[in-house]
Amino acid sequence: MATILDLHSHSEASDDSRAPVEAYLNWIKLRRAERPLDGIVLTEHRQFNRAADYRALEDRFGVLVLRASEVETDYGHMLVFGVNDDILRRFDFANVRLPAQEVIDGVARLGGVVVPCHPGRPTVGLCEHYETKPPLENVAAVELLNGGSRKGENERTAALVERFGYHAIGGSDSHMVSLIGLCATRFEAEVRSIDELVRELRSGRYAPADFRPRRPQPRRAAPEAAGSE
Amino acid sequence: MAIDQSLIGQQFEATEPVTVTAEAIAAFCAALGEERGQSRPGPDGAIVAPPAFAVTFRNTEAFFHYTPRFGRGFDAGKEVEFLAPIRAGDSISLTSVIRKMYEKTGRSGTMTFVVLRSTLINQRRETVAHVDHRFVHRNPGEPG
Repeated sequence: MATILDLHSHSEASDDSRAPVEAYLNWIKLRRAERPLDGIVLTEHRQFNRAADYRALEDRFGVLVLRASEVETDYGHMLVFGVNDDILRRFDFANVRLPAQEVIDGVARLGGVVVPCHPGRPTVGLCEHYETKPPLENVAAVELLNGGSRKGENERTAALVERFGYHAIGGSDSHMVSLIGLCATRFEAEVRSIDELVRELRSGRYAPADFRPRRPQPRRAAPEAAGSE
Repeated sequence: MAIDQSLIGQQFEATEPVTVTAEAIAAFCAALGEERGQSRPGPDGAIVAPPAFAVTFRNTEAFFHYTPRFGRGFDAGKEVEFLAPIRAGDSISLTSVIRKMYEKTGRSGTMTFVVLRSTLINQRRETVAHVDHRFVHRNPGEPG
């Protein structure tokens, strides 16, 4: 049974978002035909929202809510899934200069998985750092589809994925309610917990899912039939 | 950029009380295009200031003297928690503390955020509002 999750979102627990989790879930319920999400992952900036308990909201809306983090490293921003006490003891998530290779390897050793996000973004994306530094090792996947990307950024990531053969995920990077689920990840297997999510992210059995509305194509005049009289 | 975390929680001296006048409320309302608030008194007969009036009270110079400076910066917005109405005739004083300081990186480089919380108190010692002022500073040497 496939599972579709938005792997990158920010609630009001992040300093730059005012989106309540309840409003996210209500929006998903209202927009299910367009964005058929089974759940979301809250990736709060530079912290792990340990105290949050969304079980009542999950039951009310029928949407899975998992918690992760977005940290800042010397190779840009990265999503950390499977955050636990050992990982929090090992790394100071408030540090905006975390050593990326140590984070990737350390988190993997301690039971989680790291995914560089919006790699095509200037300054905080992997692509720009790869221009001046050696590529990272043991990268499980990168965020190919990011809902907050500007023109050309996801395309730059596509070239990175092509070159290095990374697995790819999608996430909305939503900071506002109406943007939740615009980009997501479709897993081949069922994912109902953070442990299952970590397992599946390591497996590579997933692909980005794009639910952004298509812009209407400009109408072109119908070509004249060749040889017509 | 090293952040001196010992500054967090540091409280600055209270300002001298400022008396709120009906004219000041009217001028504020006019600036926002809120004509109704200029002349309509509340149920108790006093003119009640619109909630956003809470951000008009200024801190002492000491507040700015001790505020950490990290290069170029600007006001990154305010959040206000309203607890009681401010009325014409009230006398408002405020105290401020540094609530948070943190760094973050974005498309344009590394920035330091400073959040200062001002607490507004009226002449009856009632807390009427908390105002969180968020300032962002571009770290020295960063592009942008």
